[in-house]
Amino acid sequence: MKKIILAVAIAAALTGTASAQTVRLGTEGAYAPWNFIDDSGNVAGFEIDLGNELCARAELTCEFIINEWDTIIPNLVGGNYDAIIAGMSITDERKQTIDFTQDYYPPDPSLFAMAGDADIDFSNLSGIKIGVQGATIQAAYVEENFGANNTVLSYETADQSIADLSAGNVDVVLADGGYLSPIVEGSNGALKLDGPSIMIGGGVGLGLRKEDDELEAKLNAAIDAVKADGTLDGLIAKWFEVGPFYSN
Amino acid sequence: MPDWLTQLLGDDLSFGLSYITNGKHLAWYASFRFTIIAALAGALFALFFGLGGAALRQSRFAVLRSIGALYCNIVRGVPDVLFFLFFPLAFEQSVEWLMSTQACSAADLAANTGTWPPCTEANWFLGTSEYLALACVSLGIVYGAFTANVIHGAMQAVPKGQLEAARAFGMHPIQLLWRVHIRQMWIYALPGLSNVWMLLLKATSLLSLLQIADIVLWADRLGAPNYLKQVGLVHPDWRWRYYLVLFLFYILVTYLSERGFAVLRRKLGHGMIRVEG
Repeated sequence: MKKIILAVAIAAALTGTASAQTVRLGTEGAYAPWNFIDDSGNVAGFEIDLGNELCARAELTCEFIINEWDTIIPNLVGGNYDAIIAGMSITDERKQTIDFTQDYYPPDPSLFAMAGDADIDFSNLSGIKIGVQGATIQAAYVEENFGANNTVLSYETADQSIADLSAGNVDVVLADGGYLSPIVEGSNGALKLDGPSIMIGGGVGLGLRKEDDELEAKLNAAIDAVKADGTLDGLIAKWFEVGPFYSN
Repeated sequence: MPDWLTQLLGDDLSFGLSYITNGKHLAWYASFRFTIIAALAGALFALFFGLGGAALRQSRFAVLRSIGALYCNIVRGVPDVLFFLFFPLAFEQSVEWLMSTQACSAADLAANTGTWPPCTEANWFLGTSEYLALACVSLGIVYGAFTANVIHGAMQAVPKGQLEAARAFGMHPIQLLWRVHIRQMWIYALPGLSNVWMLLLKATSLLSLLQIADIVLWADRLGAPNYLKQVGLVHPDWRWRYYLVLFLFYILVTYLSERGFAVLRRKLGHGMIRVEG
């Protein structure tokens, strides 16, 4: 019995020291091309490349942890991981709970995607079904501006909203332009973008616990560095092709 | 994939074969273990809680009897999805509350009255294995209530003469319960138990509610349409194909269970008066 207790104590001590050095990055794994599960079953995408680059420059050992979008902020605050890197827009509302690094993706207008043959009057939206991912800036925006006259359907993942759009269960989906554009591009006319582009968020940054100032400073310095030498624009070009970029 | 196989199958088939054996699909196949573990461990817990509940309902003491009846009736009435969400969360927070009374300083407790947990030391990280264990216990509690009901009924069905004879031999009540009553109860309980097992099996599809990357979640992920070349194969909405595989899996398990229960019924029926056709 004593041996077991000792073994458990040693294991606890070991994992304790290991987690003190390793920075755990929480991501969703269902928001291509930002973060997704690739064909070999590993987490991949723009933010995985970027996260690894930032950690290399800040001389941190990092690992990725997959967490549902719904609970991604509470689980950061609870300590399940140390940073959120999941295409999260910097908003004042979120800043009340967590801190953000500077943005690593420029402010990105939200766009409407719909079926290729759809004809929707955006000057007077009423009686249509609008799909959004729950707990996003778009969800709050749609609820406030179109909630009264339309049906708002909120999905757990953005992928599910696109799947339902393809299946014809919703009329339009409102989401980040950087997420929708490549999807529409790749859909070969099955989907299209139409209507106004709406600026809601203020760029995308890493989310951090308020007390982790040291980590915030390290990551901010690393983001400065990848912005300055063009690495960041290179990654954006690799995953999003059309930008938006930091240099002009 | 070896060349001879590619030549044998042709390009389309070999592409299909290599697609359904890529890492993402292997992860899906591996996730079947969660469902199987949840079904088997859940059934064990359910049997345990069922026997306990039935024993309480048989008790000589009115208080214990009413606890047993309360358990059976309340838990049977609560939707399993709700209980599935409620129990793990309630358990996690109770543990964290206990930890917070030990680990958190008084200053932390006073400063963080609105947030949970009050300090990071009291945070209990639930990974897949913890959630799986809690899921098994939840399944056990919910279907234990049904099992308790079935076993209670089966114990009533054991002919009174058998028990009187055992008592006349001077058996202690515990001996009587264990050697005569429970032994003979199984044959009466079996049809009901096979029903409960089927219900439990179906409830294993709820695992993804607890952040477990189970067969349903993977089917969703794999079937979702993909329009991005850099993500992998570009394909439209394929979810129905993956759901169909899950249908077939559950039908296969149902068929195997039916066969298993038929064997059990034959075995347990040896030397017993035939109770039903």
